[in-house]
Amino acid sequence: MLFFNMAWRNVWRNRRRSLLTVMAISLGLGFNIFMRAIGDGFHEQMVDNSVRSHIGHLEVHRAGYHDDPGINKTLPNPEEIGRAIQSLPDLRGYSLRVLGDGLASTAENSAGVAIVGIDPTMERKVTTINRGIVRGEYLREGEVRPILIGERLAVNLKAGLGDKVVLLVQAADGSMGANLFRVVGIFRSGAPELDSGMAFILRQDAQELFSLQNRVTEATILLNSSRAVPASQQDLQSKLAGKGVEVLTWYQVEPFLLQFIQLDDAFFYIIVIFFFVVISIGILNTIMMSVFERVREFGVMMALGTKPRQIIKLVVEEAFVLALVGALIGSAIGISASLYFATEGMNLSSWAEGAAALGMTSTMVYTRLTAANVVISNLSVLAVVVLVGLYPAMHASRLRPVEAIRHV
Amino acid sequence: MALVELDNVTKTYMNHVSVHALRGVTLSLQPGSFAAVAGPSGSGKTTLLNVVGALDQPDAGSVRIGGVDLTTTPPDQLADFRLRHIGFVFQAYNLLPVLTALENLEFIPALQGESKEKRIRRAEELLRTVGLSDIRDKRPNELSGGQQQRVAVLRAILTEPEVVLADEPTANLDSTNASLLLDMMEELNREKRITFLFSTHDPLVMERARRLIRLRDGEVVSDENRDGSAAGVKP
Repeated sequence: MLFFNMAWRNVWRNRRRSLLTVMAISLGLGFNIFMRAIGDGFHEQMVDNSVRSHIGHLEVHRAGYHDDPGINKTLPNPEEIGRAIQSLPDLRGYSLRVLGDGLASTAENSAGVAIVGIDPTMERKVTTINRGIVRGEYLREGEVRPILIGERLAVNLKAGLGDKVVLLVQAADGSMGANLFRVVGIFRSGAPELDSGMAFILRQDAQELFSLQNRVTEATILLNSSRAVPASQQDLQSKLAGKGVEVLTWYQVEPFLLQFIQLDDAFFYIIVIFFFVVISIGILNTIMMSVFERVREFGVMMALGTKPRQIIKLVVEEAFVLALVGALIGSAIGISASLYFATEGMNLSSWAEGAAALGMTSTMVYTRLTAANVVISNLSVLAVVVLVGLYPAMHASRLRPVEAIRHV
Repeated sequence: MALVELDNVTKTYMNHVSVHALRGVTLSLQPGSFAAVAGPSGSGKTTLLNVVGALDQPDAGSVRIGGVDLTTTPPDQLADFRLRHIGFVFQAYNLLPVLTALENLEFIPALQGESKEKRIRRAEELLRTVGLSDIRDKRPNELSGGQQQRVAVLRAILTEPEVVLADEPTANLDSTNASLLLDMMEELNREKRITFLFSTHDPLVMERARRLIRLRDGEVVSDENRDGSAAGVKP
């Protein structure tokens, strides 16, 4: 304890220098925690937007569908699959869909579209398309062949509310399927590929259009948390083993999203390393100066019987004190900023187009603070500072007392 | 049996020119000695104290304390030897500036692994014995030179080492404080039988030392014993 007291007091012998170093550590750590929280929040929103816009956390298809989709590859025994899905402990909702490609035409224009046949009640529990209606209304059971189209698709087709749209598809039996639909709603998801190329119709209309009778092509599942994805996938895979289906996670369905997050993380860590290097140089300078100013003192301590390892311990403890104070203040800064923007959000409307390209449906980014972020950031700073302190500590421990005592 | 024995100790410093700091010094000190090494600057006084204190190694000859040959002791064990057997008093006091007087006294017992309770009790008792209780919580920069040097002496003797080496202990003190310091060291020497070896220029110290060894150009030129016992110079 006497040594730790010495370390503490030594640090504050040159108050201004130590405070500047503490400030550098605090700002570096606070920035690190805050940037990580922005990254985590941004990634979570991206995933959530993607998941809630159409893909869900998990998708169940006939085996091989993901690699080579086709309207013929329908789910065997959807009722049994539905029961297996309903037994998932983290289930929030699921939707049985028909997914196929076709051509949408109006009197003015035509465009290729992905046609999604849905049960509106089930779909509401999984996706948020219903919340993105900008004109008209969401699909309702009982209407005669309603269609919901994306905002850009509406522009391309020059279709407005109440206008007729003909969908032309190749049906499961090889015949051409065609039917007339009426636009009941126009949505904006924020995701360009959805807004320009997706049309929602009722599931029974889609089954009729594609000659599928009661069959569906996929089950889309929303869980309570993305953290439940791996366990739920495993659970469902074991329940549906041997049924000829594949259970895919959102990152298997859209691997580019995960790759983007990993790439973004890699850039973040490069910045963090750069920050740590800058901070380390500052700390090294502080501790080196502190050691050089106290050569005589170290000489006296060694003459009195202090062992080199105890000198190393003292100097490293001084570095640790700097790091600890910096870490406490930095954590307070980082946590406060992260918590504030977790509720208030950050307005990125200036970069709205870029955000939309990344699948962001909102221009507000909410930070997400995790315990892992705070713990890892703090431990990294403490470890780096202590490592940096080792060099001057070794230097001090190698002094020869007989020379050090005479140092002026 | 002698406590400190130097046998034909030689030390040469090589700079631009070689300086023979010690030339075949042979002497011994009995336990309880109160001895001073005197001589002009460059005579080798400090070098002598350094080799006796295991801070420096001679080029030739041997140095023994309590029968332990310091010239053959591995360097990593010398720190431990100093900690347990030798006390140091420096010319510039050299108290640790961030510690209070009491904590400076605690420092060596703390290094020796003594419990906090025990070392504080011993330090307080020692401060009380020499009438310095009122400065126990003051840091060195709040103490006079005389007070600092007395605390430095107490630090050196608290753990009762075999020998205390004091390098010009009165050099920075006025005659009153120097006299007070010598009174204290004499008393500690008498009561605790701690051996003191000084290097000094100070006539007051030379006068009070019971044995006076004079060096010139690294050689012992005289060794005067004032208490009637035999001096430790070997022929």
